Formats: sequence, structure tokens, C-alpha cells
Amino acid sequence: MKSLFGRRSAIVTAAIATALVLSGCGSSVNDSASEGSGDCGSYAIAMHAWGGYTASAQVIADVARQELGCTITQTTLEEGPVTYDAMEAGTIDLIIEDWGGGRWQEWADRGAVVEAGENGNIGIIGMYVAPWMVEKYPDITDAKNLNKYAAMFKTADSGGKGAWFEGPTGYTTIGEKMVSANKLNFKVIFSGSEAALVDGFLKAEENKTPFIGYAWQPWTLHSKLPTLEAARVKFPANDWSDPAEASGLSDYPSTPLQKLMSKKLNDANDPFTSLVKNFSWTNADQNGVAADLESGMTAEEAASKWIAANAATVAAWVGK
Amino acid sequence: MKVRKSYLLLASVTVWILLGRLLNGTHTLQIATYENTAFTTFVGERASDLRGNRTESPAFIYFFNPLRGVIDGFVQMIRNLIAVPAPNSLIPIIGWLGVVAIVAFAVYATSQWRTALLSVSLLLACGALGMWQFTMDSIAMTLAAVLLSLAIGIPLGIWAGLSDRVLKIFTPFLDLAQILPTLVYMAPIALVFMIGAASATIATMIYSIPIAIRITSHAIRNLNKAPVEAAESMGSTNMQKLSKVQIPMAKQMIVLGINQTVMAAVSFVVIAALIGAPGLGKPVIEALIIRNVGQGFVAGFAVVFLAILLDRSTSAAAKSQNSFIPATAKQIKTKRIILIVAGILTVVSVFLSRTMLWAAVWPKEITIAPQVAKVTNSATAWILDNLTIFTVGFKDLISYSILNPLETQLAASPWYVTVGMIVALAIIIGGTRVAILAFVLSMAIVLSGLWYEAMLTLTQTIVGCLLTMIVGLALGIWTGRSNRAQKALRPFLDAGQTLPAFVYLVPMLGLFGPTRFTAIATGIVYAIPVVVKIVSEGIRAVPHTLVEAATAAGSTARQIITKVQLPAAKKTILLATNQGLIYVLAVVVIGGFVGAGGLGYLVIAGNSKPELQGKGLIAGAAILLLGVIFDRIMQAGARRSS
Repeated sequence: MKSLFGRRSAIVTAAIATALVLSGCGSSVNDSASEGSGDCGSYAIAMHAWGGYTASAQVIADVARQELGCTITQTTLEEGPVTYDAMEAGTIDLIIEDWGGGRWQEWADRGAVVEAGENGNIGIIGMYVAPWMVEKYPDITDAKNLNKYAAMFKTADSGGKGAWFEGPTGYTTIGEKMVSANKLNFKVIFSGSEAALVDGFLKAEENKTPFIGYAWQPWTLHSKLPTLEAARVKFPANDWSDPAEASGLSDYPSTPLQKLMSKKLNDANDPFTSLVKNFSWTNADQNGVAADLESGMTAEEAASKWIAANAATVAAWVGK
Repeated sequence: MKVRKSYLLLASVTVWILLGRLLNGTHTLQIATYENTAFTTFVGERASDLRGNRTESPAFIYFFNPLRGVIDGFVQMIRNLIAVPAPNSLIPIIGWLGVVAIVAFAVYATSQWRTALLSVSLLLACGALGMWQFTMDSIAMTLAAVLLSLAIGIPLGIWAGLSDRVLKIFTPFLDLAQILPTLVYMAPIALVFMIGAASATIATMIYSIPIAIRITSHAIRNLNKAPVEAAESMGSTNMQKLSKVQIPMAKQMIVLGINQTVMAAVSFVVIAALIGAPGLGKPVIEALIIRNVGQGFVAGFAVVFLAILLDRSTSAAAKSQNSFIPATAKQIKTKRIILIVAGILTVVSVFLSRTMLWAAVWPKEITIAPQVAKVTNSATAWILDNLTIFTVGFKDLISYSILNPLETQLAASPWYVTVGMIVALAIIIGGTRVAILAFVLSMAIVLSGLWYEAMLTLTQTIVGCLLTMIVGLALGIWTGRSNRAQKALRPFLDAGQTLPAFVYLVPMLGLFGPTRFTAIATGIVYAIPVVVKIVSEGIRAVPHTLVEAATAAGSTARQIITKVQLPAAKKTILLATNQGLIYVLAVVVIGGFVGAGGLGYLVIAGNSKPELQGKGLIAGAAILLLGVIFDRIMQAGARRSS
């Protein structure tokens, strides 16, 4: 037994060693197939996992690969500080859509994160009721009337008040302030993820049950619930000069979404840098690609469909 | 004594309920989610300073950053080998055919052809699920973490095995690491090592090193004394004794330790994606966020296959060293010839996978992913369409009857009433020392300013643990008493233990909506397998003579269970409850993603909102403190009951 094992491990070692030696030398597809020529470097795009972001990121990644020959890796990670840190560390070079009104300031001050302009999408945030409710209770979209209906929104989790489904973590949310400033008889429940909200809205619409939750544009849910925009609850007018200090009396502002890049990408000033700076598209563009994604296309398929249909825009981005 | 104890328990619970009712809503220490306490602000500022210092402070320049660089480089090297394109090329150094051949060969060489066949099928299945590259990334990450864990864990384990003092110093840390919910230490690690493969590897190691240490020291300690003494009497030096006697004798146990370390690292594959680990976690988490149940399951299955592959191949290696029947000369010869042939085939495959594109990159046409996604999607849709009425009803029942009253009692009572209750509980169950510990830790939570949130999490954990124990005890008794039941349930339990909780979080969301119960249900599914296994072992360990005596005395099966087996297995059941509680706690906090609120939500929010960063870090610490308080109370209770 002992000798068998000994011999055997010798054979194993020899075989694996040979395999490794072979993989070290030998002509291989590796050497012949290397692509990514030209003056575009290799970059990593942060992939935040909401549908709209995926659409924008996939399109710019594919344009960079196909038109500029860049080597692009796509790394899934959480939005916000986590990603800014990664940019500072040099592992991420681009955020194509950031909603967070200046939360990157600390990193920008150190020069680790560089603003690359707006991406053309306008972020709209608000509290929405399930669309069927607007027809039945037309005055529900005025915040002043919400208390009248609060009892309808009660659930097992809302402690006798109406359940108010707040946005995912990391999104700009002021629900607690809105509730207390407007003296609403609601309890804020932190949905925690986009999935939770999608689930809440869809089920409420299907079963005609009451629901009030955080929603935004551009968002794929709008393609499933076309009348959602009309179900937005209107709060008194805005003063949003400083989001952190917002009183909560007011509604969310519209946010032009930002592109952010790493110092490395900014300094490189190569074709990808200018593609990033030029990239701009509309909410409709993004919603279209995101809807394809939602309906089961892979990100690559959805992106190439859009790229093929919008050759002129793409040409303008890459400056050809 | 026993009667008095239960009276005491009853009395203190009554006092607690009365006081809670009387003082309801006062001193609850509730603060709005966006608000910080002086302490959380302070921690948040320190965390920001830490960030700013990363390029300047000597600790970073000379220690953390180089360490990150080395680990990143190590992981990248392994990834280049099998997972991602090597520098200046489009494919990894070894393509899929080469990897399959090497795995087959290595498994065959260390165990038998059946295991090798199983390993290859599982690997091919991962490829067919469209997850080849993700799987290879996960293998690379696991391999890196395991190699580093063993490099650190085995020497430390040997040391702890030889010296009682070292073991005593290690034990609290080993215990702590086992309670530590994974979600908790990812943020601090990412703060120091930043997001990426290095952070993920280090987080995995924190989880797997203690296991390597524990099993290695256990292996050294439980050796047959005679050979060791013989070596001593022949005048061997300590070094000789260790290298010639103790380590060789403990080898099989150590291989088992490797198996356990690998499994610990695999269980980290999904959650590590939250801090940038490449691999199968990526599609699983994406699926949660875009709510694609099918995709989640496709990736989840690949995780399960990978786990089975690594488990079977490493445990088979451990077993094969244990064969006492010497191989005949002919068998040795046959095996050697087969090995040489297989070795040549392997080398050829590796060569092919470097020269032929079809052998290098997994062919996209070979895929069953759409079918699997479709089947799971439609199964889920059917369940959602037809069962939601029941599930929502059940959820509401539990919410109104247990969850809400308990939440009122724990969270809406003044903090000092609940702290008093926890301390009283600790005294009665565990004794004075545990009570002092419970008091100190509870006060730490109070002072951190997150008491209210901690009580929300505690409520969900207790309810989850309660439901887990009801199901777990029933199944545990059943499998403990019947071999057939155990055989039938075993695959489900194994799969349940390896399927990442994130995978079924989405279907749970569909069943129960964004509520606390979704988190609880996910925790229950996660905790049941381990509870069933422990209870079943406990039942099986009850001496046969006891059961036979009871049977002879004409007891019914029910009497045997309630009068003989359960009392005899009391200690094991207490330990199972403890495990259940810790497991539920670890998953309930993930429920922050699906509307469960509490500490878990704060941890997640702290990751993405700079102004809540301090609060998130403290919330993580509070989860840990909760875990320690209840672990200590239960452990002490179990010790006393024996």
C-alpha cells in the first residue's frame, strides 16, 4: 500500500509537471489570438446590478471593444463607497451611472475619482402608489390626502399604520423625513432591494391590493406598468439644495445622472477616455435596452441590438 | 433543583412581560435610520480617516497594501491558469478540456474511478449550465483561500495540538470565528483591503482558518499515546517526534481537515461576491437584484455541483488512505498502467486545450442553462400563483401571533427591562459568569445606540429559531430512528447546506413579499439541515440498551421518543438549538435586502451610504455581540445539563 501510494504520487507529480511545462511553452492559440491592439488600454467598468445600469454599461463596454479595440473587464460590485474605493485602488475605472448627488466628494477631493459629466439620463425619484389605485381614488396622488387612505395600506409588518415601502439601500431616500414632516400615518419599511419593490408593485397591481412604494425613472418596471408614472404621489414643492438637509416636506428632485472615472482613466486621455466623456443617451434609450434585458435577452444581445440600430450615435461617441 | 429552575424561568418571564406592558414605548432608544449617535458618528469619521490614510499611513504603505498586492497576485496567477485570459492572450493557460482531464486524473490517482467519473460529470454540468468561467473563477478563489488557510492553519493547529497554553489562547478566537455572521466582517475588511479578490480571499480565510486549526489540533491531541511514548523513550527530539510520528499518524485526520476547510471556503463563494470576488457569486447576486429566479438557480446549481465535486474528491482522498486491505501485486500493476495511460491522455488534453480553440473555450452551443432557467422559472411561477394565498396567510398568522407580540415585548419595552431579562435568563440557564458576560455585552449594544435595531433582529432570530426547531426536531427524530428516512433526506440536507441562501431569497420574496418573514423563512431553510443532522446524531447516540429496555417494558414509540430518546439527547438538542440560532442569525441579517430591517439593513446601508458607514460598522459589531450572548448562554446551559 505504502509503495503504491509512493509510486503513484511520483507518477502524478510527473504528469502534472509535464502538463505544466507543456502549458508554459508550446505554440498555443494564446499567442496568435491576442487582440486589443491600438492605443486603447485595458479598463474595468463597475457593474452595478440594476437593469438600467447594466444597459448603459454593457453598451459602452461593447462599443469600446468593437470600435476602439479596448480590453474591457466588467466587475460586479456594490455602488457607492465600495466602488469609489475600488477606483482609488485602481481596480475600477468607470461608473457609468451614479445617482448619488456628490457622495463621492471625499474621493474627488483626493483626486481618486474624477467627474466625467452627465450621462444624459435624468433620474426621477418619487413615491408611487399601485397604478390601479389612481383610477379608483383619483385624489390619492396628492400627499395631503394620503392619511385618508392610510388604513388601507396596513400590513402585518406595519405596526397598525400604513406600510410605506422605502427604496433599496444606497439609493437616496428621505422617507422617514417625509413621513414625519407631512405627519403621515405610515411606517417606513426598508425594502432593501430593487427586487423587493418590483415584487411589491407587480403583485399589488395584479391582485388590486393597496401599495405605496419608492420608484424611479429610468426603470424597467415602467415597461411592465405603463401607467406607473401617473401614479406618482405629489408632495409640496422642492428645495433640494442640500439633499442631506432636505426637510422631508418636499419631494425628491430630478437628478441628472453622473459618469465618474478613475484618475488612471482620466490621465490616460486615450480613445476610451473620450468615449466615456462623449457617452450620452436618453431615458428612452436606456429603458429600451433594459426592457430587452428583462425580457430574457443577454446583456450582449440587448446591447448589440441597440448599437446596430443607433450607428450614428455610436459614431459620434467614438468620434468617427 | 430542576423544578425550581423552570419556576424561576417562568417567574422572570412573567415579570418581564408585566414590566414591558407597563412601561411600553418608553426608553426604547429608537432612532431614525438616517440619524447617527455620537458613537456612530465617531466611528464613521475614523473610517473615513482610514480611507484617506490608505496612501499615506505607514501601516498601509508597508503592511496592508503590500499584503493586498501579494494576495491579489496569487489569486490572479491561479485565475490565469484556469479561469481568465492570461496576459497577452485571449484564453487562460489551461482550457476547459485540460482542466477536466487534470481533475479526472488527480481524483482517479488519489481515490477511485467512480469518484473521478462523478467529478468529471459535475464539472461538465457546470459548463453546460453556461457557468464554466464563473466556476473556474470560484475554483481559483477557493484554491487560493484554501492553500493560504492551510499554510497558516496547519502549523498553528499543530502548535495548538502540542501546547495546552496555545490552545487556551486560541479557543476564544476559534469560537468567535464560528459565530461571526459573514455579512459582518466584510465591510471592515473591504475598508482596509479594498474591494476585490484580496479582500474576498482574506474574508474567506477568516472563516476557514479556524476550521483548519481546530481539526489539526484535534488530530494531534487524539493520537494513540503508545507510539508517541515509544518515540520519546527512544530519545527522539521533539522535532523528530513531530515529523516522524505525530504528523504521519494524524495525516488522515488532517486530510479530513483539508476537506472541511475546502467546504468552508466554498460556502463563501457567493457572499464574497459582495466584496468583489470573481466567480459564481456574481450571477447569483445579480439574479437577486434583477429578480431573475431562473438565473439565480442556474448559478446556484453550479455552486452546489462545485461543492459536491470538492467535497467528494477531497473526502475520497481521505478515505483511500485508510484502506487496510493491501493491494495485490497485480492490482498495483494494473493501477500503475492505467495511471500512466491516463497521465498521457491528460498531458495530451492539456496540450489540446492550449492549441485548439474548441478545447480552450467552453463551446457556447453546449448549454442547458435556458432550459434549467425556464423550468425553475415556471415552477416558481406556478408556486407563486397557487401557493401565495397559503403562504401569505401563514405569514400573517405568524406575524400577528408571534412576531408582533414578541417584537413589542423586546423592542418596545424599555431597554433596561429587556437587558434585565437577558441577564436573568443567563443567570438561570448559565450561571453567574455567563450572566456577567451577557450584561457587559448587552450594555455595549445599548451604548452603541443600536439597541432598538438589535431587538428587531433578535425578534426575527428567535422566531426563526423556534420554527426551525419545530421542523428540525421532527425531521431529526425521524431520521435518527429510521435509516431509510436518513438515506432519503440526506441529499436534500447536503444540498440545503451548500445551496447559497441568496439563491432562495428571491423565491421567498415572491412567496412572502418584502417583509420580516421573508428573512425568517430564508433563515429557517438555511438552518434546518444542520439542526436535523445534529438532532439525528443525538438520537442515534442514545444507548441501545435504554431503548430496548423501554421497548421490553411495553412503551409505545411515542413514549420511547418523549421519555427516553429526547431526554437522553437533551444536551445534543440544546447544542442543535444553539447552532440553529447562530445559523438563523447569520441569514436573518441578509434579510436586510428584502425588507426585514434591523441590524442587517444598517450593515447593508452602511456599505453604500458614506454618512451611515459608522452606523453600519457598529451594526455589524452588534450582530456579533448578539450572537456571542446567546451562544454563551446556550453553551453554558448545554454544559450544565450533561
